Formats: sequence, structure tokens, C-alpha cells
Amino acid sequence: MAEPLVAIRNLKLEAGTARGRAAILRGIDLEIGRGRILGLVGESGSGKSSLAACLIGLTPANTSAISGEIRFDGQNLVGLDPTAFARLRGRRIAMIFQDPMTALNPLFTIGTHLVDVLRHRDPGLSRAAALSEATAMLVKVGIADPEARIAAYPHQLSGGMRQRVMIAMALLMRPDLLLADEPTTALDATVEAQIVELLAALRREVSGSIVFISHHLGLVAQLCDDVAVMYGGTVVETGPVDAVLTDPRHPYTRALIACEIDEDDAPGGRLLSIPGEVPDPVRPMTGCIFAPRCAHAVETCRSEVPELRTSGDGRRAACLRFEELP
Amino acid sequence: MTDPAAPPLVSFEDVSVVFGGRVHALDHVDLTIARGEVLGLVGESGSGKTTLCRTLIGLTPLTTGWIRIGGAPLIETMAADPLGFRRRVQMLLQDAVASLSPRLTIGRTLEEPIAIHGLPREAARRRLDGLLARLGLPRDIVTKFPHQISGGQARRVGVARALMVEPDLIVADEPTAGLDVSVQGELLNLLMDLRRDLGLTYLLVSHNLNVIRRVTDRTAVMYLGQIVETAPTRDLFDRPAHPYAAALVSTNPAIDPKRRRRPIVLGGEIPSVVDLPSGCRFHTRCPVAQPRCAVDVPAEREVGPGRRVRCHFPFSLAPTAAADALLVAADAATAAAATP
Repeated sequence: MAEPLVAIRNLKLEAGTARGRAAILRGIDLEIGRGRILGLVGESGSGKSSLAACLIGLTPANTSAISGEIRFDGQNLVGLDPTAFARLRGRRIAMIFQDPMTALNPLFTIGTHLVDVLRHRDPGLSRAAALSEATAMLVKVGIADPEARIAAYPHQLSGGMRQRVMIAMALLMRPDLLLADEPTTALDATVEAQIVELLAALRREVSGSIVFISHHLGLVAQLCDDVAVMYGGTVVETGPVDAVLTDPRHPYTRALIACEIDEDDAPGGRLLSIPGEVPDPVRPMTGCIFAPRCAHAVETCRSEVPELRTSGDGRRAACLRFEELP
Repeated sequence: MTDPAAPPLVSFEDVSVVFGGRVHALDHVDLTIARGEVLGLVGESGSGKTTLCRTLIGLTPLTTGWIRIGGAPLIETMAADPLGFRRRVQMLLQDAVASLSPRLTIGRTLEEPIAIHGLPREAARRRLDGLLARLGLPRDIVTKFPHQISGGQARRVGVARALMVEPDLIVADEPTAGLDVSVQGELLNLLMDLRRDLGLTYLLVSHNLNVIRRVTDRTAVMYLGQIVETAPTRDLFDRPAHPYAAALVSTNPAIDPKRRRRPIVLGGEIPSVVDLPSGCRFHTRCPVAQPRCAVDVPAEREVGPGRRVRCHFPFSLAPTAAADALLVAADAATAAAATP
């Protein structure tokens, strides 16, 4: 296998809170293959967005410590000085946010947003040339009547159209790594389907890799090549998406999939949930992070932190017992 | 199950709500909810779901038409006995944690309805104790403040608050929005158990089609202020009649690759409720629209047992091979447009 675009090793992120130091990421090991779409799934608070924040160098102000390694095309992003990171951001690494209304500046037209991106990438570009490239990109992301839209302000566009503008901005950078943090969560189902289809169709436009963060397993299954399941600031399982979601190995992945409502289940039957609470980031991890809620936990699970072990076939799971589970 | 011959608990009769003389939030809505039924309501943002909920709890006045609850016009019941009306219809709020006052203990929050409605104190206290036990909440939760309880407990406190006044009807606007899948099952199980044990009737609004399919008896689909289809939930998902319903139902990707269908991806944008399309409101985005659809407004009509649809050509778009063929054609067109 070719060298991955991104190789994350033992990435730890801590933040200062009123209750003490919180471990937001507890030693992430993860690779993002070149040209692959990686789905990042997990409950709220599992660290999905924090991982994306580390990848684009925009960790929150209360971050107290970050350690480990993020090799991006050979360069370590952890500890990279802000000026060097600013050169990567918006050129080689781009991000699409969840809420396109707050991510666009209400005082600037769509055209200004797009031209700014292009000039950041290529400062010598004339405004006329930038506008014509921007217009072509709006067509590509499925915006009808692009000449009129380029003069419009964000509030004049629908939610779906604003998200298309965000995608257009990201694609104009021609990034090697595109981070999409819940890009369809704020959209209606039929518009969500449009955007997911657009991302799937545009993947040949993105020469690099995409990280797609979502809590919607069906969408991840539809769009992604690989998936990483996060829980309590750790990656508990990773591998090719269809293999992981149809034959999950980690008990947490299994439980998460079992909670999804299956269309074959009889109406009126009991729905499953995962009992207990998500782990408190302020408390140290002394054993498996999922052990307190795991139906298969034994004594060693509470005292030994499981490593993300390979099980061959490109799959890894952080469970001491995954081979012996029924 | 519900008796189809019994008079409905709720009926909307030709209800319209127009804001500022030009925003048609609800447009000639006819809808019934049977006693003991769970009616699902789906549709895009801005289609009128929340306005419909607000009319039912008496917060948004009707421009024309009638809502009857138990046969009596809502507007008269509300005028004659506003507290009595509120005891019959309770709302379950979307964000359970935010809906609890941070300055009141859980006990004070749950006792508020007793004071407001002047309920007999002893009976109400017994009811409160019974509800806490019924909902699996520890007795000492009444001494705690919202920040001291878990999210799951806060959701059950929200349910308990609604049930304190022994309502007939619960209006639940997106009760599982923002919930992780790992905990939504617990809340839905609770709502369905309460329905069985207390004979509750629900109007359930959700964007989550899996939730709608699993817990509702019938579903109403809204588009731009109109109800475009009402059907028994199973029939709606098996064989949607309205093309918009067909598209909506198809956008629910399965996890299992062997069961994944291609979603019907609609073109175009949701039109503005201020500047409504002529003819059928959906014709600007409908993949199977005919010339007639741009001109004639389709009336609501019966297309099967308990099924009503507002479409000139029902069942013409189905998530099947025929729809796939349409999509392949659309893909070819997109690819041609994308090639410079």
C-alpha cells in the first residue's frame, strides 16, 4: 500500500475546564489513505470535531496540551508554527462546516468569498479571471444561474445553496485534504441527498482525501471508503466501511449499529439503546474506555487499556476480546 | 389499535394560516388524529409542520377553518376553559435540558403544573411519585437542579412534566432531534409504553424517517404548507403515492450495502412560500411532472384505504427500477454538463 496522506500517531489533546484538565483525545492512531473518503462516526463528545480541529490547526483557545504526531505528506502538523500552518490552511487543507450560514460572512457577496479564496491560493490572479473561475465552479456544484448568484449575499440563498457555495470555496483551493464536519446535518433530507450526491460526484475533482464527519451511519456507508469509529476520545475500530458496518468487531461499533432502527423490525418492538453515560473527559482512562457500558467486559478490560490491534484485512479494533466474542 | 368508526380526537377542517397576508404557512389542511393513534408529520423545513403543531396547542390562531378536539371547536374550548384545554393538550419540547429552568429544582418544576392548574395537592403528589417510579427516576431527583442530572433524566423529567396534568394528546415536535442514536431508543420506547398504558394520542414531528416508520400508525407528508399525502405508515414507505413522498422515503440510506437503493435526488430549490408555484406546488421539482401539473391545482383525493394524496399522477414515481432509469438519464445529463 502507498504511504498514506495522513498518519496520526498517539495524538493527545487536553483542554483546561472549570472541573480540571479534560482529555479530549486520548491517543489517536489513524491513517487517511490518498484519494480515500474516510468517515468519522461516534456519539457527541467522542472527539470527532476535535480531531478535525487538530488536522486544520484550529484547536480551541482552552487547549492546554497537544502531543503525538500528525504526519501530513511527511510533515508533522503537531507543534507546527502558526505561520507555517496558515500557509497550509486554505491551500492544502480545507474545511466545510456544519452551518453554512455562520461560516459565510453576511457582509460580503458570494463572489467576494470565492475570489478571496482564489487569491489566497494564487495572489497574482486578476479579479476578472478569478470571477470567471468562480462562476465555473458554481456551475460544477450545481448552482443554477451562477452570474446572478455571484452578486448575491448569503442571506439571499437557501441552506442547500449556501452549503454548495461552501463546497465550491473548498474545491477552489484544490486541497489535498478536505475536512467536512457534518456538512448535511442542518439540511433537509431531500437537500441532504443532493449534497451527498454532489460530494460523491465531485470526488474526482478533489485530488486528495476527504474526511467526512457524521453521526448518520447510512450516509457514511453510502459515501465513504473507510470508516473510523470514535468513542471517548479514542478510535475503537477502523477499516473499510462495508466490512466494518456489516461485520463490526468492537462491542461499541456493534452496539451503535444495533441502535439504528432497522426497516425489517416489526413496528412496536423494543428499540435498543446503550445504557450508561458517555465517559467523563476529566476522569483518567484506567482500562478500556468502553468497559463501563460494555456487555462483554471482563475484569482485565477494567485494568488494561486495549491497543488498536490489527485483525488483518486492513481492519483494526481496540478490544482485548474481539476474537473470542460471539 | 384504533377504531376507525369512532369519532377522531382531533380534526383539522380546511385550516389555513396566512402570515402578513402573503405567507401561506398552512393551506387548506384537512387532517384527523384518532384517539390512541400516533400520527407522524414529515416534510422539509418551512413546510408548515411547526405551524401545524402551534395551531393545535392554541398558540397560532387560524386564518380560516376549524380545529376540533373531541368534537368541540378548539377556539371555543380555549375561550371557555383555557386551563382545561391546556390540561388536555401538552407539548413535549425538543431540547429537554434547555426546557428546564436552571434555577428551579426538578421538584419545583414538576409541582408547577399542580399550582397553575389548582390540582388537589394530595392526589397530585401521589401522581408525581407514581410518575417518577413509572419513568425510572430516583425519588431524590426532586431535590436536584437540572445541571445535576443526566441528559436522559432531563428528557424523562420533560415527559413527566407533560404528564402531570393527565393530557389526552401529546404534541411532540422533533423529540429525538439532536439525540445520539445510542439514546433515542430509550426515549421512543418510553413514549410508546406510555401510549399503551395511558391511552395517549401523539402527534409526532420528525425529520428522522426511521423513527417515523418505527413508531407511527399513520403519516402525513407536508410540502409548502399543504398536506400532499396521508397514509398508513407502512403503505407510505412501501409504496409512496406522491412523488415528493417517494423522493423523501428514498433518501434514507441503509447501512447494509446489499440493501442500499439509489436515492431519488430532486433537482431545484424549495420554492418560497411567498411566491408559490402555479398548479401543483411540487411541479417545479417533480421528476415526473406533466404539462398539466403547471396549470391545474390537484385536489386531495382518496387513492386507497385511508390514503389521500394531492397529485394528478399518483404512484408515477417509485423507488424502483423505473426511478433508477430516470436517475441514470439525469446522471448522464449532469456528466455532460460537468465536462468542460
